Amino acid sequence: MSRSYFLGAGLHTRLGRGVKANIDAMFGALPTPQVIQVPLGEGHEPAPVMLLHDAPLEDVEQRLWRVIEGVASEALEAAGLTEAQRRETVLLLGSSSVDIAASEAIYQRGLRDCANAHPLMANSSLGEMADRIRRRFNLAGADYTISTACTASANALVYADALVKSGRAKFALVMGVETFNIITALGFHGLALLAPNGMRPFDKGRGGIVLGEGCSALVVGQKRNGARFHLRGSANLCDIFGMSTANPDGTTVSGVIKMALEASGTKASEINGIKAHGTASLLNDEAEAAGMRQVFPQLPQLCALKPFIGHTFGACGLNELILLTGLLERGYFPAAPGICAEPSDLDITLAQAPQPIEPGVFMLNYFGFGGNNTSLVVANVEG
Amino acid sequence: MSKADISIRAAGDYYEEVADTPPDLRTLVKDVTGKPVRRVGRFIQLGLIGAAKCVGGATLPPETAVYLTSRRGDLEVTIEVMQELFRDGHAPKPLSFINTVSNAACYYVARHFELHGRSCFVGGGSFGFETALDLALLEMRAGIVRSALVGCIEIATDPLALHRQRLSLAPDAAVAEASHWLWLEASRAPDAMGSVGGVEFFTSLGDLAAWFGRQGVGADSTAFSQGQFLADGEAAAIRRELGLRKAFNYRAGRGYYDCLSGALVSAFLRSEADGASAVLHINADPDGRLAVMLARR
Repeated sequence: MSRSYFLGAGLHTRLGRGVKANIDAMFGALPTPQVIQVPLGEGHEPAPVMLLHDAPLEDVEQRLWRVIEGVASEALEAAGLTEAQRRETVLLLGSSSVDIAASEAIYQRGLRDCANAHPLMANSSLGEMADRIRRRFNLAGADYTISTACTASANALVYADALVKSGRAKFALVMGVETFNIITALGFHGLALLAPNGMRPFDKGRGGIVLGEGCSALVVGQKRNGARFHLRGSANLCDIFGMSTANPDGTTVSGVIKMALEASGTKASEINGIKAHGTASLLNDEAEAAGMRQVFPQLPQLCALKPFIGHTFGACGLNELILLTGLLERGYFPAAPGICAEPSDLDITLAQAPQPIEPGVFMLNYFGFGGNNTSLVVANVEG
Repeated sequence: MSKADISIRAAGDYYEEVADTPPDLRTLVKDVTGKPVRRVGRFIQLGLIGAAKCVGGATLPPETAVYLTSRRGDLEVTIEVMQELFRDGHAPKPLSFINTVSNAACYYVARHFELHGRSCFVGGGSFGFETALDLALLEMRAGIVRSALVGCIEIATDPLALHRQRLSLAPDAAVAEASHWLWLEASRAPDAMGSVGGVEFFTSLGDLAAWFGRQGVGADSTAFSQGQFLADGEAAAIRRELGLRKAFNYRAGRGYYDCLSGALVSAFLRSEADGASAVLHINADPDGRLAVMLARR
């Protein structure tokens, strides 16, 4: 069976700049969210955030690009792609907000100069960011901007894997991009889904999300450089129960998990650990827990990574995959210190310190607005 | 139809030139879909109208996937949210905020047809429809998807003068809204309208010509179709290189919208096209890349 492998990664989150700094930080305590005051009319609204490490929230029109450039460079260098190979590389960008932060900043600047300014006059094309990345790194292959809310970069990886396996592309650069923007902050504030004291997925004290920022990049291609991790299978399904809520009975969650297991030729009992989506909202955690139990009579060890970096929305697929696989490569499964130390109302317990683990097969689940549900099965063993 | 072709079961379109104010679509969406659709904006309404016109009275398999593209997405709701927030100082309304996600229209199309298959929104640059169709074909050929709706939506916003500026159009340029959809099936359907032979991307005309030579379609029976971003001079050179004497022009008389490529297949299948049995559509981007779509009757 042909496979595409994870050849090199780049990552920038609240935990640090670079993959190594991020993985190092996962052995420590959970970061404390910062509460920032988001301007609204004459006043402000508080929003808990986990901003990018060492990247102050200023010069917003250019900030996102600087972050992308650093992360993509790290991944391409780690993969050791030559200039010629880069020209054979396709780009798959996964993002929910794409460059809306820059659009907001441009519009705000316009309003300061002229009360009659209009939004989205300069950069309204959803493909512009991909064009810019492609040109900067001399990628001559096709580009795809996948925007499926919180599953965007997970789905981007799924398509990248399919393009490489089919022979349509030799290499793919997959990116997940999400930075702070005011629409998202105040949108979630309006939905009463922000949790000022941190994300506590599956915990009895769960109360919503912390806005996260993250940018990640992963080069996939044919096996080289001793790469072992690969996508063994995946599934994506649409849950039409609701635009913003998974079916709480868990059936749609279990449906996508079962399909991913089938697609990867894996039995439920062969899964060594699950990275849950874990948004820490009452209904979605309930749906996710119910769905997992319908497939796994005995739950494998579970982790939830949003307490480390916040909810990074369209980028969480790749951000969390790189965090998980990076820690697994060091022989550990992630912990969530201080969260679900005891069985919660959902009867879930999370490890309080990273747990030693052997190479194996792991599942990562993602559930997004628009009913977009994705499940990935990755492995660092052949078979 | 070659072994790799994917059947086109149906095609449907909404196209309307906008002369003044973009039209209210509520009555049309009810007429076409058979039920009123509440609390959604015109972008989603356009998606539902186009998809419903494509599917007609047929029943889609519930596992049908939805692939949607748009170059600028739901401009109307995004502009509204930004103006309310930054100009007027009001937080986004919850439903407006939720509907700012690009894949909202995918959800409403899936819900209308009671679909629970894959769902994907691809933001397009110069090649929006080509990339959406490419991903659908990729998954259908891999056996992951058996039935798929592939569509594009482009919306105009009020006032039209600003919309033209936003799209870098001349002040008097004709502007349109459109929603184009194809229903594809991986199996060879006896009542198929035609088939899609492939979508490919090239950086050289030589590679494109070599690929075309392998497709098993004769130059005499294939019509050349010039994509909206392919310059006239380059189109003529490509046509000469490939030896395509027949041409199919589906763009004439249309107002501007970004995802014009989405209109190709349906227009070709409903036309005589100079007796051509296949159409080769070539589009270009500012970096010199070429996107190719091949469809057959």
